[in-house]
Amino acid sequence: MLSIKNLHASVEEKQILKGLNLEVKPGEVHAIMGPNGAGKSTLGYVLSGREGYSVQDGSASLQGADLLDMDIEERAKAGLFLAFQYPVEIPGVSNLEFLKAAVDAQREARGEEALSSAEFLKMAREASKQVNLPIEFLKRGVNEGFSGGEKKRNEILQMLLLQPKLCILDESDSGLDIDALQVVAKGVNSLRSPDRGFIVVTHYQRLLDYIKPDFVHVLSDGKIVKSGDASLALELEEQGYAWLNKQPEDDAEGLQV
Amino acid sequence: MSEWLNTVLSRAQSVDDWLSPKREQSLALLRDAKWPNRKTEAWKYTPLRAVENAQFAAPADVEAAVTAIAGLESIDLVFINGRFAAEQSTANLPQGLHITQLADVSEADKTWALQAFAAIKPSRHLFGLVNDALATEGVIIDVAASAKITAPVRIVNQLSENAEAHNRVLVRVAQQASLTVVEQTIGDAYSFNTAFAEYDIADDASLEHYRFALQTDKAMSVGGSHFQLANRSQLNSTLVGFGSSLSRLDVDVTHGGEHAFAKLNAIYLLDGEELFDLHSTIEHAQPHGTTEENVRGIVGDSATAVFNGRIHIHRDAQKTLAELNNRNLLMSNKAVINTKPELEIYADDVRCAHGATIAEIDKKALYYMQSRGVDRAQAQVMLNFGFINELVDQMPNAALAEWLRPQLRQRFAKMEVN
Ligand SMILES: Nc1ncnc2c1ncn2[C@@H]1O[C@H](COP(=O)(O)OP(=O)(O)OP(=O)(O)O)[C@@H](O)[C@H]1O
Ligand SMILES: [Mg+2]
Repeated sequence: MLSIKNLHASVEEKQILKGLNLEVKPGEVHAIMGPNGAGKSTLGYVLSGREGYSVQDGSASLQGADLLDMDIEERAKAGLFLAFQYPVEIPGVSNLEFLKAAVDAQREARGEEALSSAEFLKMAREASKQVNLPIEFLKRGVNEGFSGGEKKRNEILQMLLLQPKLCILDESDSGLDIDALQVVAKGVNSLRSPDRGFIVVTHYQRLLDYIKPDFVHVLSDGKIVKSGDASLALELEEQGYAWLNKQPEDDAEGLQV
Repeated sequence: MSEWLNTVLSRAQSVDDWLSPKREQSLALLRDAKWPNRKTEAWKYTPLRAVENAQFAAPADVEAAVTAIAGLESIDLVFINGRFAAEQSTANLPQGLHITQLADVSEADKTWALQAFAAIKPSRHLFGLVNDALATEGVIIDVAASAKITAPVRIVNQLSENAEAHNRVLVRVAQQASLTVVEQTIGDAYSFNTAFAEYDIADDASLEHYRFALQTDKAMSVGGSHFQLANRSQLNSTLVGFGSSLSRLDVDVTHGGEHAFAKLNAIYLLDGEELFDLHSTIEHAQPHGTTEENVRGIVGDSATAVFNGRIHIHRDAQKTLAELNNRNLLMSNKAVINTKPELEIYADDVRCAHGATIAEIDKKALYYMQSRGVDRAQAQVMLNFGFINELVDQMPNAALAEWLRPQLRQRFAKMEVN
């Protein structure tokens, strides 16, 4: 459903993605790991269409539609969702109002009828219960004054409400306490379905105990340099990334899918 | 010479009450006063032609009913065209709260009130002096020491066509007491009013204050709220202004004691050819005072906003923390904003920030909202409204915020289309 081919992208003239290939099929969960600064977040930004990120080469399509050719909101309406590593605070814009606008947009795009305020509230209440975020939080400004973990849970809440086709979770597990980690994992697992794909960016194997990935990839210096099954995450946890520098260039290439 | 001012001087002749000694002083200044013009600093961007030779025929006797604010259990003091409307006002007062009409003050009230009158802000512009001379209607509010008054006192000035009214409010919050006051002016028809309130907030006392200057259209209004803080007094004030053919407010705070705290939020939302002029002077006369002043406005169409924000830190006011921020969002290229920060610092150990900027859309926030499928245009509207709504969210009184927000939203929505 998500097909990324030879993706080259840069930010402020700095080349970050250097020929990235990734294929996510419906129902699959792909974990992406890799050293700091490798380009993991950049991948999410490029796919979601963030300003300042430009694509030089390659392609990315979601269910056959060219993602790179769409406006930011069109990509979201096409079913792409990025749970941010650093969610943005928007004081003055209430969470509820924002969520309603997002859900309305999504439903319109799918040709569904708009929800009444009551219906929406019911949905929001359920979702906030699921991620263990008090409903009062939704009356505040978007992420305003939220703790790091609360922001992450709010991202999952949005994902639950929007029911995207392809979810990218960028370090949704970092900064979470043990209970919150389970909450996030449960949220993701509840959405797992044969027609939905996931990319889970993480530094820690632990999240993958809860969200069992079908594939694990190592992203380094703008490329996927190694892929494997869930056991690769355990290996990485033990070995770290030092081997990346030692391995000869062509060897690493050979490991690509 | 202004014809209107001439009538003021002659009307003032017939005012004779316990405040007359104070009124005389202001009247003396008024007799020498020149009608302000473009060169008069305080009125540089705010033309007064519409008042200069105006005549306000007495309004037809109106039976205006003032509506309550949903969810607000307030103590109402209603003035219709300047006259106290007892039947619309709250008679029963909680213990520790004393309210009396200017005309009915007791000897005990007179002692402090006479002192406080026109003293909280000693230097007054022309209309302040006019109010000194003519305001025979108004109230005195006195909160006893340590009394915590939870019900907000709401002072409503309702004006109808052709009305001219001058009202005065004097408030004393004694030591360790707390009070909430809402000043609200209503009526968009052609009229003119001056409404000034003076607040004397004693040691360890706190005041939550709101001023809603929501008259629009042909209504003309000049007013002010002046606050005197003592040791450790707390002030939290929110001011909201819609513009009209003349709308001017002066909000002034004097830190007359140490460790006083003042938070001032002001919002204006202007459309059409409206004018809104906010002048604010913060005097830090004593050490360890804190002022946080946030002024935000959205100016659309060919409206004009004037903001003059002055912070004066006296030589003895060491360890002052003062921040004043004025941000403006211009919705059209005909919209005008005249903003002038004035900073005078005579103490060396202070932290002071002072800025006026044209607000820009937060690109990260815009991206975030779009990434959830919200159209760029809609996200922009939400962010623009959020820019002022952020200050509404900060209002301590939820009922007032709930009451205000839809009014702002409605006005803002109308601005978007032009
Ligand atoms: N605006 C920018 N200008 C220049 N370089 C940038 C900019 N934004 C990101 N980068 C660089 O791009 C590289 C990739 O960043 P990215 O955030 O994608 O890394 P990451 O793999 O997500 O790392 P982490 O694991 O720390 O989250 C980094 O070296 C970063 O410094
Ligand atoms: Mg990252």
